[in-house]
Amino acid sequence: MTVQNQTARTPRLPDWLRIALIGRNFKFTLTRIVVLVVTCFVVFRFILLPIRIGEISMLPTYKERSVNLVNRLAYLRHEPQRGDVVAIRLAGIHLMYVKRIIGLPGETVAFVNGRVLIDGEVLDEPYEKFDCGWNLPPVKLGTNEYYVVGDNRIMPAKYHTKGVASRDRIVGKLLL
Amino acid sequence: MKIVFRFVLAAALVAFGVWMWTVLFSGPEKAIRKQLVGIARTVSFSPNQGSLSRLAGAQNLGFFFSTNIEVDINVPGRVQQSLMSQSEIIQAAVAARSAVRGLTVKFPDINITVAPDKQSAVADLTVEVNISGERDPIVQEMKFTLQKTGGKWLVTRIETVRTLSILNFELRRAPSIV
Repeated sequence: MTVQNQTARTPRLPDWLRIALIGRNFKFTLTRIVVLVVTCFVVFRFILLPIRIGEISMLPTYKERSVNLVNRLAYLRHEPQRGDVVAIRLAGIHLMYVKRIIGLPGETVAFVNGRVLIDGEVLDEPYEKFDCGWNLPPVKLGTNEYYVVGDNRIMPAKYHTKGVASRDRIVGKLLL
Repeated sequence: MKIVFRFVLAAALVAFGVWMWTVLFSGPEKAIRKQLVGIARTVSFSPNQGSLSRLAGAQNLGFFFSTNIEVDINVPGRVQQSLMSQSEIIQAAVAARSAVRGLTVKFPDINITVAPDKQSAVADLTVEVNISGERDPIVQEMKFTLQKTGGKWLVTRIETVRTLSILNFELRRAPSIV
């Protein structure tokens, strides 16, 4: 009798709404939510870092304002390769450079009339769609250093952020 | 169920204790971070800010820097400036405020290393500068050296960090070319 009275007083949600909001079993729904939140946190914080490309330095490969993911585990088993597009940290990972690796440790990198020379030989760059006339003196890379540059080289060399990045600054490889 | 409740309660108490500890016994790192955020806020100004308010903002910058501060900024293609005192910084800030419509400065990443004697510290940070009317922000890694003076953390040196050391070309030319 008491139970009936209480039920009558408490407004109950319709079944379909209750199922939509909290599921058939509240405990299971809560567990699923917690698992999903923890999984998202771990994945998007430590494995796949979501980024938005803010500038035009990687045109035409990556458009401005496009969204991408940085795979932080890409270089666990092997070192970065030539042609990889990588994220390079500054003081932290909230703002990073996105650049392509063109020079590997120990190599000598130079720009002559817009062509990249690696140890004196011209590098084939199928991703490079715009002509540029950059002339930069050769630089010898150290044991843990990579030469990185953007794909968009139409601006004068001094306005384009490029150069030598140490291995510890490479956060990961772009996934998409 | 009782055990679970006790466990959750104990975890909550521990978390609360840790939080209280950080609030009551905050290290110099927190004070430095606050100081740096204060600098970013003071340097920034909006386009609709009045000229008097802009001037006051520039003058307030003096509170964050030591009198003999050294500033060596070199952002390729954008800014190249060396300043040697607090008054020069204020002058530069006043000049900047009349040269651009608005400026927003942010430090999205701050790494602080405090010296063992807790009297000096180095902050490695990313600076993001948005100038009103300009499409792309200026992004630069910088190093701030701070010193504790009269209980306050004052900046004694500001310098740019070469994230991609392109400017070292001249020093690092390949042996065959030099």
